[in-house]
Amino acid sequence: MNDLSQASAHAFQLLLSGNNDIWEIISLSFGVSFSAILIATPLALVIAFFLAFFSFPLRRALISLFNTFMSVPAVIIGLTLYLLLSRSGPLGDLRLLFTDKAMVIGQILLSFPLLVAMAHASFQAADRRAWETAITLGASPARAFFTLMYEVRFGLIAAVVAGFGRVVAEIGCSMMVGGNILHATRNIPTAIALETSKGEFAQGIALGMVLLVLSLSLNAGVSIFQGKGELQT
Amino acid sequence: MSSLISFKAITVSLSGKSILNIDQLDVLAHQCTLLTGRNGSGKTTLFKIMAGLLKPNSAEIHYQGLEMTWKQAKPYIQKDIIYLHQQPYLFDASVADNIAYGLHRLGENKASAHKKVMQALDWADLSHLAHRPAKQLSGGEKQRVALTRARILSPRLLLLDEPTASMDTDAKQQTSLLLQRLKSEGVSIIISSHETHTVDHIADRHLLLERGRIETLERPTHSNKVTVLNTSKYST
Repeated sequence: MNDLSQASAHAFQLLLSGNNDIWEIISLSFGVSFSAILIATPLALVIAFFLAFFSFPLRRALISLFNTFMSVPAVIIGLTLYLLLSRSGPLGDLRLLFTDKAMVIGQILLSFPLLVAMAHASFQAADRRAWETAITLGASPARAFFTLMYEVRFGLIAAVVAGFGRVVAEIGCSMMVGGNILHATRNIPTAIALETSKGEFAQGIALGMVLLVLSLSLNAGVSIFQGKGELQT
Repeated sequence: MSSLISFKAITVSLSGKSILNIDQLDVLAHQCTLLTGRNGSGKTTLFKIMAGLLKPNSAEIHYQGLEMTWKQAKPYIQKDIIYLHQQPYLFDASVADNIAYGLHRLGENKASAHKKVMQALDWADLSHLAHRPAKQLSGGEKQRVALTRARILSPRLLLLDEPTASMDTDAKQQTSLLLQRLKSEGVSIIISSHETHTVDHIADRHLLLERGRIETLERPTHSNKVTVLNTSKYST
């Protein structure tokens, strides 16, 4: 217990003193995860919209596929990507393995099914009259799509937050394709795992606190945002 | 009376069951038509096809001197025909922003759009609601906002699905007044309604849609005489 208190106090010290290593890890972690979500979200929203609003062959199969991929362990995605990006793999020439770009690709693959599935649920629950009203008032399909997104924005934001929450805390994929290299690919989860295995609890706790604060802030933000939406409707 | 638009050979079937099978439907310019029919007779489906929102199995459209398939006609009809749902959908924005929604298409600048919106609100006696969140309005107010939002785009034909359903007497009267104003401005209107007494005073024609076919044509409802034609070809 005494060790834990000392480690926690040290963790605060590390964070507040602006320890370079710690803040570099935090910055890389956020940079990679934000990039992944930024890249994955637009296409995921378009696919989710098509799955919810249009009927076409294999639609149901695609919905099932995205729902299934939502629960694929990160380490499996990491392993698959590792095999593709390794020197002997089909994408080996791209020299992406053990880079932050590989981590971004891995996190895109991880977040994409979750984004599609959650956005699909939001679009599915949307009032179809919103789409029809936009079209009958002369909106182009693209504008009608943006109008519809605005109407279901609370659900879509929750989807994006959930997607970010999944990738920023995952360790399996980042470890496999990033390699946990200091100053290059070490992010919060891989750093926590490493420092804890070395018995350096302070750094692990400090990074864990950052994740915890992030998680609480995101959830609080979404709750406040959704609360405002409920008042208006 | 000149024909505004003609729909021919409209067929819709679902799982092999015929939903609509209309030989011809002529919409006459500047006329108000009352369309009645039992629930499930296909009124909403017909309206959505006419507004370019729902693809029929087949339909030919004669519009502006051109014979077109439904797909070819879709851009034209979406431009000139506006469909209003039974319970109109208002976007999660203020009343003024809702009314301005369609002006974007017309390339109006902000100042001109604002002026038009204010005039439109004044036309419908809704100026006091301009900045209210549209989602907070009553059913009658929503219907009037939806009518104003449609009118500002100068449609040639308005398709109104049960515009006075579930309204109190006051709201019905106010909606009816706006419909009269729209008609007097030369907008062609087709109203689907079970409450014929609320709108029959502005209707020039009365059609009955039954089992997916327009089977009966009654003469204008101002008269007590009813002519049963038993045909599926009409002029509205």
